[in-house]
Amino acid sequence: MFAEPFMQRAFLAALFLAPLCSLLGVFVTARRMAFFSDTVSHAALAGVALGFWLGFGNPTLPLILVSCLIAVAVYWLKENTELLTDTIMALLLSGSVAFGIILLTALKGKQGEIQRYLFGDVLAIGPSEVWLSAILFFVVGSGTFVFLNGLSLITLEQEMAHVCGIPVRALNYAFVIVLTLAVTLTLRLLGIILVTSLLVIPPAAARSLSRNLRQQIVLSICFGLVAGIGGIALSYQLDMPSGPVIVLTSIVLFAGSIAASKLSKTTVPVSP
Amino acid sequence: MHLHPIANPGTPAVEVRNLHVTLGNHAVLRGVNMRVPPGELVALIGPNGSGKTTLLRSLLGLQKISSGEIRLFGERDIRAALPRIGYVPQRINLESSFILSVREFLAMRSRETRSWFWQSHTQIDSRLRESLTGLGVESLLDRPVAQLSGGQLQRVLIAFSLLRQPDLLLLDEPTAGVDTPGEQSFYELIAQIQVRHHLSVVLVSHDLSMVYRQASWVYALNGVICCEGPADQVMNAESLKEAYGIHVSTYHHHHGHDDHVR
Repeated sequence: MFAEPFMQRAFLAALFLAPLCSLLGVFVTARRMAFFSDTVSHAALAGVALGFWLGFGNPTLPLILVSCLIAVAVYWLKENTELLTDTIMALLLSGSVAFGIILLTALKGKQGEIQRYLFGDVLAIGPSEVWLSAILFFVVGSGTFVFLNGLSLITLEQEMAHVCGIPVRALNYAFVIVLTLAVTLTLRLLGIILVTSLLVIPPAAARSLSRNLRQQIVLSICFGLVAGIGGIALSYQLDMPSGPVIVLTSIVLFAGSIAASKLSKTTVPVSP
Repeated sequence: MHLHPIANPGTPAVEVRNLHVTLGNHAVLRGVNMRVPPGELVALIGPNGSGKTTLLRSLLGLQKISSGEIRLFGERDIRAALPRIGYVPQRINLESSFILSVREFLAMRSRETRSWFWQSHTQIDSRLRESLTGLGVESLLDRPVAQLSGGQLQRVLIAFSLLRQPDLLLLDEPTAGVDTPGEQSFYELIAQIQVRHHLSVVLVSHDLSMVYRQASWVYALNGVICCEGPADQVMNAESLKEAYGIHVSTYHHHHGHDDHVR
């Protein structure tokens, strides 16, 4: 399996993106942003369609740009209108999916692309995606630890973070952009529909076994790595699409962590 | 002896001149003037909706002001003054699903433990121990911040505020949601801290007996400053009537010494 170049690229991408998504996911889940990541991943379909329409052979760049645009649009509309965030996201999600499907259907020979992007395809990961994943992993991974205190405080309570001198607005926008970049690169592995799972399931599994933030971050990264690498290996062995297998692997880890958490609570001796 | 704030030498921690704040179509603050000298505990009293929280939020740059001037430590740049300020809000909606522990939360605030992620619990505890003495939070270090009771959270927030050795502490009804014994011990703690660290404190409170005991100067607010002065002068029926309206009286709790407004 490791002899195949496409599998080497898939493993490398998973090695960089799975722990990164699991790290960002700790804050995504605590900030209730799962629907936001769904919105920007679905917006990618509009980016893919636009990329093909503009003549791009590999639509990664337009895909990233359109998703970032939608991410910023969510926050701009939230700040400048009376609309609820859920409403804004539902509107942009459905709008961008509708736009993407209509454009891809109209483009001759591109209808098959819809399924590849919806469910993920390891064959779609080229050298440029691996390089982008590596850069994102090192820059965003280290950036998250540099700004860990600010990110934690804005997650806990935004006004208190402001009083502590944290540039709340700038950090919020920065988080949204790096999250969007991570989502758009990871969706080549997992697909538009399933990409949010890597942001949600490993942190949720880690949460049930953790007593503090450090434990949750470390466990979430470990679970993400096992789900990503293990899922790709399993998908190759079983000849199944990578996205669903990665998701099911992480769900097995989640079920195991819930069981372990319940078990540890029932076996704790009651103090007199 | 109580000093008039203007008589106290040194740059005031807070100076507010002719402050106007409008929320929607409602003018909440209409020309407020206030001065907090260094090392004094100044109380802000007034009925619900009188603009006390809006005034504190304006001092912190959390509330856009319509006109007027705010100077903190003599400077107009509120953001530059923030590192010198500790703030305990009236209500705080912490993200309940976030598992940040009290130890991690406090470690973020101290310069020695800012890189808490890479430090052991023992290292963090030994570095925080001195700053946390007497604040009653040592037993809470392993608990998630978002799952503390009202009284426990207020103590943790005070400890968090004090870790950077602030010059000014802003407390907005800090005992809201705390039971009466907890309220008393909390105010005793504030008084000790204020003296020990020579802090300027602005305290919003409905507990008039505490205001009477601790505050060196009292501002009664109801959109404007209705009256100001030493506690024993402001807290008479006439002044309170002006601030709170006509249906005002004080009453005593059974435990003897707490006056509250009703």
